[in-house]
Amino acid sequence: MGTFDWKVIYDNFPFLMKGLLTTFELAVIGITGGLLLGILVGMARLSSNKIIYYPATLFVNFFRSLPLLLVIFWFYFLVPLLAGRPMGDFFSASVAFVIFEASYFAEIIRAGIQSISKEQMQAAYSTGFTYGQTMRYIIIPQALRNMVPSLLTQAVVVFQDTSLAYVIGVKEFLRSASIVDAREMRSLELYAFIGVVYFIFCYSMSKLSKRLEAKKGIAK
Amino acid sequence: MLSYDFKWSILWADPYGSWMLQGIWVTIQLGLICWFIALFLGTLIGTLRVTPWKPFRLFATGYTELFRDIPLLVQLFFWYFAAPRILPHSWEMYLYREIPNSEFWIVVIGLSLYTSSRVAEHIRAGMQSIPDDQYNAALSTGFTQFQTYRYVIIPYAIRLVIPPLTTECLTVFKNTSLAMTVAVLETTFMSQQIEAYTFHGIEATTGACVVYMIITLVVVMIMGLVEKRLAVPGLITRR
Amino acid sequence: MIEIQNVSKWFGNFRVLENVSETIEKGQVVVICGPSGAGKSMLCKCLNGLEPFQEGDIIVDGISLNDPSTNLIKLRQKMGMVFQRFELYPHMKILQNITIAPIKVLKISQEAAEKKALELLERVGIPEQAQKFPGNLSGGQQQRVAIARALAMEPEIMLFDEPTSALDPEMIKEVLDVMIDLAKSGMTMVVVTHEMGFAREVADEIIFMERGKIIERGTDVSFFKNPKSERTKAFLDKILLV
Repeated sequence: MGTFDWKVIYDNFPFLMKGLLTTFELAVIGITGGLLLGILVGMARLSSNKIIYYPATLFVNFFRSLPLLLVIFWFYFLVPLLAGRPMGDFFSASVAFVIFEASYFAEIIRAGIQSISKEQMQAAYSTGFTYGQTMRYIIIPQALRNMVPSLLTQAVVVFQDTSLAYVIGVKEFLRSASIVDAREMRSLELYAFIGVVYFIFCYSMSKLSKRLEAKKGIAK
Repeated sequence: MLSYDFKWSILWADPYGSWMLQGIWVTIQLGLICWFIALFLGTLIGTLRVTPWKPFRLFATGYTELFRDIPLLVQLFFWYFAAPRILPHSWEMYLYREIPNSEFWIVVIGLSLYTSSRVAEHIRAGMQSIPDDQYNAALSTGFTQFQTYRYVIIPYAIRLVIPPLTTECLTVFKNTSLAMTVAVLETTFMSQQIEAYTFHGIEATTGACVVYMIITLVVVMIMGLVEKRLAVPGLITRR
Repeated sequence: MIEIQNVSKWFGNFRVLENVSETIEKGQVVVICGPSGAGKSMLCKCLNGLEPFQEGDIIVDGISLNDPSTNLIKLRQKMGMVFQRFELYPHMKILQNITIAPIKVLKISQEAAEKKALELLERVGIPEQAQKFPGNLSGGQQQRVAIARALAMEPEIMLFDEPTSALDPEMIKEVLDVMIDLAKSGMTMVVVTHEMGFAREVADEIIFMERGKIIERGTDVSFFKNPKSERTKAFLDKILLV
């Protein structure tokens, strides 16, 4: 069994941290891109215009029925084909994340807006508001408040999902650890270490989300 | 656009076709085994989360947070690479040499534990949405705590949580794809294997996509039937 | 002022409103009562175009709701509505709940809107709540704010959809007092309610509806003392325990 040797982490710390940075970069891209695209698609899912509604619904159902790992592979092959030249694994992974996570953000947004009761809309209409004014002053502010916990949870999911970029060689946190492991054969220390780092980050985010949810309950 | 010559026949040509079928079978087995273990464990842990006894609750909360806040892939790597190191050397050798498909069973451990923590969350949420008075009513007829949970609370909660559990079942099947990273020969692994041999990545990956979409449809259909069978008039299971 | 002409509405096989006709004059207070599912709320929501209807027409102040060129949004400025569950905007303070529509729709200035809002809050009896959030107010207070919010648009007609049904018994009176006050000041009102005390005090006409049809109508005296239909009698027996 051998003794624990934490030196391996100390020695390779810069390399591991570089991997962590890549993880954060990928996560930020995935979250912002996914959220923006998700807002568009989510609103499209609420449209009564069939030309807007059906493609958006297809998009969401398609990506939500597939494993992210497969989608990463798919874009890994597809992106250079469409671009006409190799674009690098980080770029392909980013595209995959933005599109994949957007389908999840879209559902959160759609559900958030639909959770506002029809009567709230009717109350706004009854004072002479247009559809646009109703959405802008009444529905969307309330929906956003309701959505924040779910959006935060999904952001944590995106952060965890970045580890899947491992399979196409992106040197994010997990892959960095496995590279060191291949060389130093200290699997226990390495995977325990990255496990702890991921845990600290995700746990604090989820606690923050719970605190926000509780605060929202009082302010309402 | 790079010129690309689509060759869809690789999906069913010999031997690629049989590789795919093998992979699909492994995916189905892995998914079903992990799902049922997770269902059992998750119901147990989820119930512990809402019992009146603090140590049980703390344990269950810790369990859930641990598995939820670490990426699944990292967990699988831990079970596959790191955990065997803790075992005494002879056990480790036994694991690798004597047990066939040890990587399959290691993934079963990792994926089941992960999924069980998610199932536990759903069960907990379902139980907490059952009015307190149901519990009080049962106790007032002389049931013990255990009987209350077994005959009243758990059956009620199961019906409430069928929609989120359907999502979770789909997630399990999708998560089986991660097993490819530790050399389990399931669908995704096979699709990339085909790609390695034929260089037709898009066709191979698309084929695997179709497999998962079919699995999704089948699961949704089956869970829909289960929901109908278990449905109780007046109890709203779907928002 | 409002003419309802042979209005029918249905969802598939379920007929919500069946050939409903009625005329409401300016300054009249009309009370609509009846068992649940009678279509009373639906009729109320049809009057300001919140719910569409398949047959018939509703003419408000000479403007037909069916006419495609009718600007429903402008029409709704003339009609205020109060809902069963108050429907205050939970993310805005009380004052803003009342001022937001006048500012955004009538384009009056913030100061003018706030001044008016405080006057209305005085009128409904709770000026001190202006800076609170709806969540901090009781049901009765919220409903009075809802009435103030509707009045802020200076409507000619006020619609009330079961305004006291969601209130605790001890809060019903404060809301009814505001409504009675409003009625006595000459407002045209259509009120869907079970509160027969209110009806007896200020209603000019009482309509009894069941299953989408108007079964009986009358002034307060004739309605309560000599109901013509058996159904009306049975209904009144059930709800008037005195």
